[in-house]
Amino acid sequence: MPTNLLRIRNCRVHLRAALCIVALFAASCGGESTDGAATTIYSGTCAESTGEEIAVYSGRSENLIEPVLDAFSCETGVDVNVRYADSTDLALLLAEEGDRTQADVFLSRSPGPIGFLESQSLLGEIDAEVLDLVTGDNRSDAGSWIGFSGRKRVAVYNVDQVGAGELPDSVFELTDEAWRGRVALPATNGSFVDWFTVFRDQHGTDVATQWLDDMVANDARYYPNNRSIVEAAARGEIDLGLVNHYYNYQEQIAAGDDHRALNHDLANEDIGSLLIITAATVTSASDNPDEANELVAYLLSEPVQRYLTEETFEYPLAAGVQPASLLPPLAALEIGTVDFDALGGGFEETTEIIDVSGIANQ
Amino acid sequence: MTSKRAPWGLQVVGAVTAVAFAFPAAYLVYRNVTSGAERLTLLQSSRTLGPLWRTLQLSVLVSTSAAMLGVCLAWLTVRTDLPGRKFWRTVLPIPLVFPTFIGAAAFRRTLNPGGLANGVLEAVGLDGFELRGLFGAWLVLTLFTYPYVFLPVAARLLRMPGSLEESARVLGDTAPQAFRRIVLPQISGAAAAGTLLVFLYTISDFGAVQLMLYDTLTRAIETNYVARPAIAFALSLLLLALAMVVVAGERRFSGSGNVEVQARTLNPVSYTLGRLSLPASVAVMAAALMSVGAPMIAILDWATDGVLRATRDGRPLTIDTEKVVEASRNTLESSLLAALVAVIVVLPVAYLVGRYRGRIGTVSHAVVIATFAVPGILIALALRFWTLRAGFAGDLLLDTKALLIFAYVIRFGSLALGICLVAVQAVPSRLLDAASTLGAGRLRRLRTIELPLMAPGLLAAVGLVLLSTMKELPISLIIAPLGYRTLTTRIFGSFEEAFVAEAGIMAVILVAMSAVLSWLLILRKADHA
Repeated sequence: MPTNLLRIRNCRVHLRAALCIVALFAASCGGESTDGAATTIYSGTCAESTGEEIAVYSGRSENLIEPVLDAFSCETGVDVNVRYADSTDLALLLAEEGDRTQADVFLSRSPGPIGFLESQSLLGEIDAEVLDLVTGDNRSDAGSWIGFSGRKRVAVYNVDQVGAGELPDSVFELTDEAWRGRVALPATNGSFVDWFTVFRDQHGTDVATQWLDDMVANDARYYPNNRSIVEAAARGEIDLGLVNHYYNYQEQIAAGDDHRALNHDLANEDIGSLLIITAATVTSASDNPDEANELVAYLLSEPVQRYLTEETFEYPLAAGVQPASLLPPLAALEIGTVDFDALGGGFEETTEIIDVSGIANQ
Repeated sequence: MTSKRAPWGLQVVGAVTAVAFAFPAAYLVYRNVTSGAERLTLLQSSRTLGPLWRTLQLSVLVSTSAAMLGVCLAWLTVRTDLPGRKFWRTVLPIPLVFPTFIGAAAFRRTLNPGGLANGVLEAVGLDGFELRGLFGAWLVLTLFTYPYVFLPVAARLLRMPGSLEESARVLGDTAPQAFRRIVLPQISGAAAAGTLLVFLYTISDFGAVQLMLYDTLTRAIETNYVARPAIAFALSLLLLALAMVVVAGERRFSGSGNVEVQARTLNPVSYTLGRLSLPASVAVMAAALMSVGAPMIAILDWATDGVLRATRDGRPLTIDTEKVVEASRNTLESSLLAALVAVIVVLPVAYLVGRYRGRIGTVSHAVVIATFAVPGILIALALRFWTLRAGFAGDLLLDTKALLIFAYVIRFGSLALGICLVAVQAVPSRLLDAASTLGAGRLRRLRTIELPLMAPGLLAAVGLVLLSTMKELPISLIIAPLGYRTLTTRIFGSFEEAFVAEAGIMAVILVAMSAVLSWLLILRKADHA
């Protein structure tokens, strides 16, 4: 039937037009390419492909990690295949895949998923010379994980709603009447769970639980994650929130001058100033442990450490790289980094305590 | 419709489909059996019952409001002389394509204190308005899910003969009376199927309830995955059980609607709105502004902000055109394939349930529909679990696009089934009987009678699956072959690390693409088929 044919062709023309519009739109928005970002890490000519391939599961986001992996591939000639997703989801996937996983390297945003994988014996051992790239605080004694950047807990606040004199020195001040209904907690978020687990470790479970209950009684407000708190603080929806430090720098840089939220560092000795690391691991099932170790070492190399702090404002952990200029110096921190190994089954109990506190149900 | 037994070939196909769709359920059962949680204590605990109760509350509220909104919008844009109705029919399905993590964040960005449209709310006296909790989750989910009702009902209305309505009007029924007595019974099947999907979507949703700070079962599941996996799996099974109960209940009460279509209904009754034209237009516009406009404002704001910020010495844009084009192509390819395969796969089940009696049809229908309540991440994990244990077949599928499409089909096949069922039931059996008396074979009847009559329904089904797949996140992240990126996974990758401008730009592309597709597939084809 000719009319039918005509319609089909018509439809094709439309589809092609639609694709063109999409392509044009994308093209008109194109700015610097990620290739550009990769060249800030490695600008030499690419090595010839070695034919080696490794697979990475990355809980760190694509925009951030892709340039690093591109630079690694270019410099070493090792092909890298990546799956980006939420760290928790990737940990579940790794647990499901067990010894049949394709993944050689797993990068986690927070310690929780690492602890989970360690409890299932799914993490392999990182080479000793790679482990030596960081200080003892920032790696596992058993050699199963290594930190490659640090994120500090801070209080983010709205500059129009919180006076400079009001800013607290300790998270314990936030249970005061003066802060009723003004403070936000990302209570179920991975980094908060990690932080609270260390809180329990440092001050005892009773003190930590009491603090959380007091916060709930003081009408602390729950948000699902750090980012939504920083965004809400910038809009003035909340006055202050306990979050990881770097989100606000990112938002600030993205938003330019109109940004209304600032970071406040709690006292150095306060639990609210904890440094939590993001970690790299080699899976126990890895078929290419050499290349996997090579990649982990690459994450700790000078150009990548510099890139991580300049681009996302995280704290570098190796190669003598200094933190980006807008970051307060890290040396002032008194409290050590989270010790995953010592936490043991801590996450499970922490989740239980947070659940019971009722903070997530408002 | 009839009490005939289905041909055994169809029964086998139906059974195979049921088994395929039961993969996630079987996985959940296995995980529960192998984990050692004290499930009974867990189920009695108030920390389970609380979220369960909130999930139920929210689902009932959202289904009710989405059903009303969807039916009203469909009737107004199909059966009246509403100005710009074709435009509205293109725009109104768009909320399906907003990934919830972007959509809910966009709502907050637009309406909440300090937000872009919060000034408007303050001007009308809604000072200190904040979207959160039950109200926030209800509003956002209603606005995101009414297309599940709107699309099938509109497809049904397009094919409903005007003769009965005309007779009713001639005999003195007012328009509302005619609607209640004639139209409603005809569309109730489609509306019920759509409403069921809204209900199931709501119980499976995580993105919206999380951002609206409403503590439901899915949030309890999410926080427990890594810390207490046994509890997460037990709660997931509870979620699935709830879905099965609701699906079984719906089948019992809805039965087979006595629907009828005309072979050619190119000019269905069109009501003249007259004085009501203005208020109706305002209402439709308000619905579109809330459901499409509000999130779009935020997305466009992110996008334009990014384009402009280089001038305010912000971070330069990091968008790689080539990669965005590739991701767009992948999104188009995978969602089109998933939509077509989904319709083909569920059509036999629709026939089994719509035309014949038998347990296999009932069971496979229930399994396909109830699977819609399983959160995407669990479907992804389940498929990974089974492919790793499927030996040779699993090795073939592992890390292929075929597995990705299969996962999408399992996740969204339910969306197609409801509409396909209504379409199958709407083919008058006397036409088929007549054709078969005249010696037309099964294939010929399918090609010359059934497919043309079912076309608008089938295309609506394709559209629903298509738009939903385009925004799908967890399966796209976990099951896609290594290195296979879709627009949604790129948006996620940008949004997570405050590259909101990049996320905004790609979201604009996603929405533009879906608008063009829904216009091409649903509107143009449906109107001209």
